[in-house]
Amino acid sequence: MTEGGAAKSTPSPDAARSSVRSVRVRVWDGPTRWVHGLIIILIALALWTESHDQMDWHIRIGCALLGVVLFRLAWGVFGGATARFSSFVRGPATVLGYAAKLVRGGASVHGVGHNPMGGWSVVALLGVMAAEIGVGLFCVDVDGLESGPLSDRVSFQAGRAAAHWHTLLFNVLLALIILHLCAIAFYAVVRRDNLIGPMLTGRKRLRTTAIGSETTPADLARGGSAIRIGLIAAIALSVAIWAAYGFKI
Amino acid sequence: MSATYGGMRRRFRSMASVAVAVAAVVAAGAAAADALSVLQARQAHYKEIGKAAKALGEQLKSGAPSLPVVQAAAKQIDALAPQVPSWFPAGSGPAAGVKTQAKAEIWAKPDEFKHDAATFAEAAHKLDLVAASGDLGAIRAQAQAMGQTCKTCHEAFRERDD
Repeated sequence: MTEGGAAKSTPSPDAARSSVRSVRVRVWDGPTRWVHGLIIILIALALWTESHDQMDWHIRIGCALLGVVLFRLAWGVFGGATARFSSFVRGPATVLGYAAKLVRGGASVHGVGHNPMGGWSVVALLGVMAAEIGVGLFCVDVDGLESGPLSDRVSFQAGRAAAHWHTLLFNVLLALIILHLCAIAFYAVVRRDNLIGPMLTGRKRLRTTAIGSETTPADLARGGSAIRIGLIAAIALSVAIWAAYGFKI
Repeated sequence: MSATYGGMRRRFRSMASVAVAVAAVVAAGAAAADALSVLQARQAHYKEIGKAAKALGEQLKSGAPSLPVVQAAAKQIDALAPQVPSWFPAGSGPAAGVKTQAKAEIWAKPDEFKHDAATFAEAAHKLDLVAASGDLGAIRAQAQAMGQTCKTCHEAFRERDD
């Protein structure tokens, strides 16, 4: 996850032979992919522990997710090119234009990184996750005994209200996840574009024309130094642990 | 004359039936209002238990639990727990038209409901005794055991939250 430097876009041998018509470029940096994987695992664990009455673990997992989401938010500012919010949060005109192109079909409509619609999907997923975790810290179970690490700051009734919001926001999150999966299926089936592979390996084969003129493969590869990743991860982890202890240490 | 008399009788009959209907509506309304006040009192009682259990759980989770807070909470739950069956008089369930998460099974299976309530009351009383001893490990274990009796009864007799 600490691979840095510029040697990450390696034109494959046969691509090189055919005068570099397509190249295998790094489109997602390591931390972005690790965060994505951790989110999948932790949400699955949060669901499992909740449905098996393991609330102590559910709360710990929620705090771990808080750390991961905080890391991703910071990575959206300090991370690799395709991970930065500034690279993928686009205005409504761009989003609608992209949607229109998508409906019309035809040739490749987007190069690397999140497309204008997918960018907002990321913002929505991270935003709802942050809200879900934030509310979760204040939740109180119907029996009163189980409660989130910040429940002592609120009344029993406010904690119960938080629990209702926690359920509601989870359903919103679930809807967004299903939409996310449908979009992946759409790209795979309709556009013959495999989005899962690059999210696992970080690499994607691209026609050279699909890479924007201002971004060279070397730019896309930049993932950040080990120190930068470690520093952000350490801060995010500290906040997560601090939250688990109700911000009391 | 007889026609007038018959007319009066008919009028009387129709007035009487109107009166009966009005009385029925009023009675139903009164029953609903009654069910509502029972429901509100029941919810207030459960919220007191919830509030005490919340304080208890938070103390037991914290690094340095306050024994007086734990003991007061345990005492309060012990005082309220035996009252639970009395908060569910007949006609205060979903059939009464009030918005409640109390399931009709409470009144359909009264013995099972009373058994679950008694199990809770026993666990709460034991918690009160253990809390008085001041042994935090034993208090934690008994609080968990009591929490399980809450869950058992809620699963059988309380509609799940949305």
